[in-house]
Amino acid sequence: MVLRIILNLIKEGPGLMRHPLRTKPLLAIAAIALILAATGAPARAGDTVVEIKLAEGHFEPQTLTVPAGQPLVIKVTNATAKTAEFESFRLNREKVVEPGQVIVVHVGPLSAGSYDFYDDFNQAVPQGSIVAR
Amino acid sequence: MMRVRAAARRDAAPVRKYAMRAAIAAAAVLVAAQLLPAAISNPPVTGDIGAPGGVGVALRAACYDCHSNLTRWPWYAQVAPLSWWIARDVEHGRRELNFSTWNTYYPVTRLRKLEWIGRSLAQPGMPPIWYRAMHPGARLTTAERAALSAWVAAQIAAAQSAR
Repeated sequence: MVLRIILNLIKEGPGLMRHPLRTKPLLAIAAIALILAATGAPARAGDTVVEIKLAEGHFEPQTLTVPAGQPLVIKVTNATAKTAEFESFRLNREKVVEPGQVIVVHVGPLSAGSYDFYDDFNQAVPQGSIVAR
Repeated sequence: MMRVRAAARRDAAPVRKYAMRAAIAAAAVLVAAQLLPAAISNPPVTGDIGAPGGVGVALRAACYDCHSNLTRWPWYAQVAPLSWWIARDVEHGRRELNFSTWNTYYPVTRLRKLEWIGRSLAQPGMPPIWYRAMHPGARLTTAERAALSAWVAAQIAAAQSAR
């Protein structure tokens, strides 16, 4: 069975299994990504930092205005007793937030427009929006 | 010569002893792990998405094991610690998207789910590589991916016009 899985991985492999030397840079990138994911990459000067709190049944604030064309750091606090998932299709982000936890979401410079976000695990929570101007 | 062989056997003895102890300890841990069963179940289907024909077949083959209540649990899903990993992945998959409880989603939630499905289909990462390695039949062909994408796009258009 193990052999079958390895063969399938090789068939699948976008070069990953066929060239073991290529796995080293990939492992390094994965390690850096893991560290950043665990610690949260720090906000850089010039980043706009905004905070959103998920309270019982709603986001606070529900609408935020941010400058367009600047990287954005969103700090999301889950102040409810339920696990939530901060999600935005337009921002292409989804991240689970355990009760009492704070997560940090980094977003590249936004074009002017409105970007909806919502709690994917609790659909009754009204969606919020980030307006980039 | 005889003396050299005897000395080599003497040197190897502690290594063999430790290897044997490690193997026994690993076996004991594996047996003990079976006492902690994973939550493996298929809750009732309350309302399936009802995808038609080939689209439904492709969805069931590639997506339903993690994203529905009709999971086909493999035999190794009964063996810890693999069972813990598989059960956690299925639980996570169902929480993200469950085709078996499609009727419980609000219209806006359905639209969001469809949009994410469309995006996932445009990327090669879904189904995940480890899952495809274990289930070669779950690999979507280019034609299946195109048919699914077209169907999802039609569903999104219908959902948007209904809003």
